[in-house]
This record gives sequence, structure tokens and C-alpha cells, in this order.
Amino acid sequence: MTETIGIWIAAFLTLCMFSFLYKDNPFYKFAEHLFVGVSMGYYIPYTYYNAFIPYAYNPLFLKKEYILIIPFIIGFLYWFRFSSKYSWVSRYPIAFGMGMVGMGVPMSMHATVLVQMRSMMLPLDNINIILIFIGTISILLYFFFSKAHEGVYGKFTSIGIWFMMVGFGASFGYTVMARISLLIGRIQFLLGDWLGLIK
Amino acid sequence: MKFADRIQKVDRRIIYVILLLAVVLPLVFRLGFKTYTTTPVEDLYRHIDAAAGKDDLAILMDFTHDPGVLPELYPMDLAILRHCFERNIKVFTISFLPQGAAIIQMALSEVKEDYPNIEANVDYCNFGFKPWSTKLPIMLGMGDDIAEAVETNSEGLKLENLPIMQNMKNYDNIQVVVEISGSSMGQFWVIYARAKFGVDVAVGLTAVMAADVYPYLQSGQFVGSLGGLKGAAEYEQLVDIFAMNGLEFSKKKARNMAWVEAQYEELPELAQLYKYNKARIGMDAQAIVHVLIIFFIILGNIGYFLDRRAQKKSM
Repeated sequence: MTETIGIWIAAFLTLCMFSFLYKDNPFYKFAEHLFVGVSMGYYIPYTYYNAFIPYAYNPLFLKKEYILIIPFIIGFLYWFRFSSKYSWVSRYPIAFGMGMVGMGVPMSMHATVLVQMRSMMLPLDNINIILIFIGTISILLYFFFSKAHEGVYGKFTSIGIWFMMVGFGASFGYTVMARISLLIGRIQFLLGDWLGLIK
Repeated sequence: MKFADRIQKVDRRIIYVILLLAVVLPLVFRLGFKTYTTTPVEDLYRHIDAAAGKDDLAILMDFTHDPGVLPELYPMDLAILRHCFERNIKVFTISFLPQGAAIIQMALSEVKEDYPNIEANVDYCNFGFKPWSTKLPIMLGMGDDIAEAVETNSEGLKLENLPIMQNMKNYDNIQVVVEISGSSMGQFWVIYARAKFGVDVAVGLTAVMAADVYPYLQSGQFVGSLGGLKGAAEYEQLVDIFAMNGLEFSKKKARNMAWVEAQYEELPELAQLYKYNKARIGMDAQAIVHVLIIFFIILGNIGYFLDRRAQKKSM
């Protein structure tokens, strides 16, 4: 019974959302606002019980791990965002966070730059590698703006544009697939779980 | 109004209705289009399958997605779990998003009901939700000791006491980390876990991000990937024709459509359940819609060029 009620509510809200395709209306607005409220309503207590209690409250107050006072205070400083006078205090935990990001720079350089560059330096022994090589060089040169894109150089950089266009086309095709997949998912729900037309 | 004007100014609601029909009709009257498997999906399947029957190897599934992308990613979740349960592959699941934890529960219970012999904490272990801020320490800590880094499973039990952890120590016991993601594209795992500990990483992504992973596949930093509904459909098929029939993976056979079709005829009843075919059924509608969109693009361009020619003539 509970499941049936849930399915009917979900179906009603799905139709409310789809009604926007005709035009903006109160049903759409209602579903939109409800979604935002429910998301936050779910997120806040879930995080409180699964993040704050086990990782901050229990170790600090029950297990007496007082070293956690330091990150506790750093985290608490974020609350100064709500004070117009003392909002500058919240920059300290942000600065600390940026320092943590800095820790990842060497490994990030390794994974996203060095290893990727190494994969460009392979023997040009098949058509795929040759295409990747030409594509990489021509696109990199296209974004080199200290020399005018004229003559042979300009023609070569325009090959880079073609490579990028193919890339954008592939991304667009995938994006269409993604959006249609979401529609298919909802229709499968409406026809299957709600109306029982497909099993 | 001229033809060129008319097709340039079609009411978008008419297009929506046509699109809706293009989705609904193939779902109701199944077309059964063939699914061809591609290298990134086959590589992931082969990689996971290599851990079959081994007590000291597991795969780690990171559910970094929320309900908004379930239509694309949930069939992947089910297909990979079914593959593991069918082939006796140990599975760890974790989520650093609150919503992901609920999806893990849903996926595990949905697949587990068809595999009554599979036991929690013996054949699989759900690490549950861990706050996002703990992702880095857990990721790095698992390189030394998984039980120490993760500490507890979703039920609050200490990992070190669980039977599944007997032969599991660190990333040496992780065959592959599969991040099923609606946003982060497995970058964290590549940057920290792979770069530092050399663990293999693969991803299951929404189609929007699928094109972005190819450079990483080419460099070998991802051992495989599932891109959107198509990737899920391919994986469903591989599970059906190999795992469900108790066969070892063979790329040559996977690409032989006559052989694939023959395997479909011998499938057990379990493989024919709707929930395990959802991505492939969805791909029927997807194919029709793609043809429709191509048709609309061509039609729109014809209208545009006719209109431009008419404008040039009138000048």
C-alpha cells in the first residue's frame, strides 16, 4: 500500500514537471519548490546523523579525542559567513581548504598532464595514433595566439578547428542521448511502475 | 506561409508530442534492436570477470550519483552487481553522497532477491555513506589498510571483524575501482588512488560526460568505461551472454552477432526479468528518437537554406 501511494505521488510530480513543456504553470512551480525543499530536508538530517555525529560529536565528546578541537574550530569559523561584520573570519577555513587542494597538485599534474602527455608520445604506427597526434598538435597551435593564423600555419591551425568540431559533435550527440535517456527513464516509470503497461 | 517558413516555425509542442510518441511506442511494442558491444565496456567486463572466484580480490563500486541520473546509471549498478553475484566476485560498495547510500541499498536489495545464497559481509560488503570530506583520507588510507581507513560498514560493524575482510588488506586486493558517477568522472580515484597506489580505475558515467573519458582510456588511466544508457545496455548484454551462461569472456564471440543471438535463446528465466533488460529496452526508444532528431536537424537545415535562397532572390 505504501509503495502504491509512493508511486502515485511520484507519477503526479513527474506529470507536474512535464507540464512545463506546455507552459509555465502552478503545478510545475509546486513540484519544483517541493523538490528543492525535500532535497534539503533529506540532506541536512542525513548529514547531521552520518557526518557530524560519528565524525565530530562522538569522537570529541564521547571518546575524548581532544585533538579534534582544532578542525572543529576551523570548521566552526565558516558560520561567520552569516555575519556582515565578521564574515572575513570565514576566509581562514577557506584558506585551509585551498591548502588541501594544493596537496593534490603534484598528483594531479602527474595524472592529468604528464601521463596524458606520455600517451601522446607513442610510435606513429597506426592511423588512430597519427590522428591523435595531428589533432593534439593542430589544436594546441590553434590556441597559440602570438603568431597570426595566416598562410600554411593558418591552414594547419584550421585543421585543429575541424578536430574540435568533431569533438563538440560527439559531445552534443552524447548530450542528446543523455537527455533522452532521462526522458526514457521517466516514461518507463510512468508506463511500467505506474500504469503497468510494460513489464 | 511558404513551406520553408512553415518548417522553420513549427510549434515546439508539436515536436514534443512527436518525441513522446517516439519514446512511448518502442517501449510498449518492443523492437528488439541489437546491441553491439564496444571496447571500453568489454574491457571493464573482462577486468571485473578476472576476479571471479578469488577470495583475495574484490571490486570497489563508488556510487557518486543521485536519483536525478538513475535512468542512465541504475541499469549499470544492477548489471555490475549481477555480474559479481553470478560469477562469485567479492564486491565493496561505498558512497560519498547521502543520496548515493540509499541507491546502494536499493540496488543491492533488488539484485540480492534473485541470489538468495549471497550473504552480506561475506560475499559483499556495503561500506555505506561516508562524508565527502573523508573521501581523500579514506582513498589514501585504503592504500595501507582498508579496514582501518573505512572503519565500519553501513550497519556500523567494524570491518576488521567481517568474514569478507579476512583476505583483504589494501589496494592489492582491489581488482578495480568502478566509480558510477553523475558528476566527478572518476578524477579523484585517478589522481590519488591510481597515481599513488597504481589501482585500476574504471567509470560508469552519464552520456554527457562520456566523450571526456576517451583521453584517459587512450592513456590507460581508465581500464574501461560505461557511457550512458548505451554503455549500460552493452554491459547488460555481456552479463547475459557470458556470466548467465557460465562462459568465460571472449571478445571475438562478443562481436559475433550470430553467436550472441544464439546465446540469447538459451538464457535462464532470471536474465529475462524486465529490471535486467531495462537499458536495452530503453535503447530501442533511444534509437528511434535519434533518427527523429537527425530528421528534424535535416528538415531545419532545408528550411534554413530555402529561406536564405528566397531572401537572396528578393534582394
